[in-house]
Amino acid sequence: MENGEKIMTGEESFRIITEMINRTKVNISNSSFHFLFWGWLIVACSLAEFILWKFTGVSSPWYVWFLVIPGVFVSMIYGFRAGKRVSFQTYADNIYVWTWMAFLIAAAVLFIISSGRMQFVAPFILTLAAIPTFLSGFIIKFRPLIFGGITFWVFALIARFAGNEVSALTVPLAMFTGYLLPGYMLKRKVNHEKV
Amino acid sequence: MKKFKDLDPLIHSQLRLAVMSILISVESADFTFIQAQTGATAGNLSIQISKLKEAGYIEVTKKFKGNYPQTRCRITASGKERFNEYVNTLKDYLDQK
Repeated sequence: MENGEKIMTGEESFRIITEMINRTKVNISNSSFHFLFWGWLIVACSLAEFILWKFTGVSSPWYVWFLVIPGVFVSMIYGFRAGKRVSFQTYADNIYVWTWMAFLIAAAVLFIISSGRMQFVAPFILTLAAIPTFLSGFIIKFRPLIFGGITFWVFALIARFAGNEVSALTVPLAMFTGYLLPGYMLKRKVNHEKV
Repeated sequence: MKKFKDLDPLIHSQLRLAVMSILISVESADFTFIQAQTGATAGNLSIQISKLKEAGYIEVTKKFKGNYPQTRCRITASGKERFNEYVNTLKDYLDQK
């Protein structure tokens, strides 16, 4: 592009504006890591809790959920490093990050106020987790995440009204539809776009 | 060809308009990103960015990423205002045509 001291027509000016704005889309390249990391971590925790509850005499199997704490640090460090690598940051990127931060804070508050009644927390956490998942789908224009968020709400209802055993398995199932499936689809999309 | 007397001369240049258009749609952008999108040479881009910075339209921060310097640009409130005025003037001109 020339340094452009020459006179431009109105059409030329609009073409430059439109072309440049179209080149700054939301950065989604590092999103799939978080969906896959959290999807598998929560599947592992929820299945471990189910096995401990069903087949052993452990009195508080929900202690496995403490694994989420180092998970938060792993996710934050990864996000921080990835954020430093990106060459531009859109306003939508910021909304995306803060939507998930709000969820993280809300989830921590929910765990604290639910302590002692952790066996009942699944429907609430799924209802809450649906919100950032659903919104992320709109922010990055990726439908599988929108559907993933909706499935969280469906599984939250199942978790509330089904029996204990079914309820305990709703969280890992929800992770497959809400995080893992969209996560792998997003990863494939990003890899495809890079080629 | 009609001359744009009312258009802000600082924005009304190919490269500076491209830089402002990128920065209006992002929170911040690296010098290298802007260079890649505009296809400008580093020297030319550097001069145009300095002009926009001196006018207070953009902010420029310099940091180190590893061993390499990183120049990050961000549009200011005044820059946003001027860009909006520029686009509105342009619209008026095109509507009159």
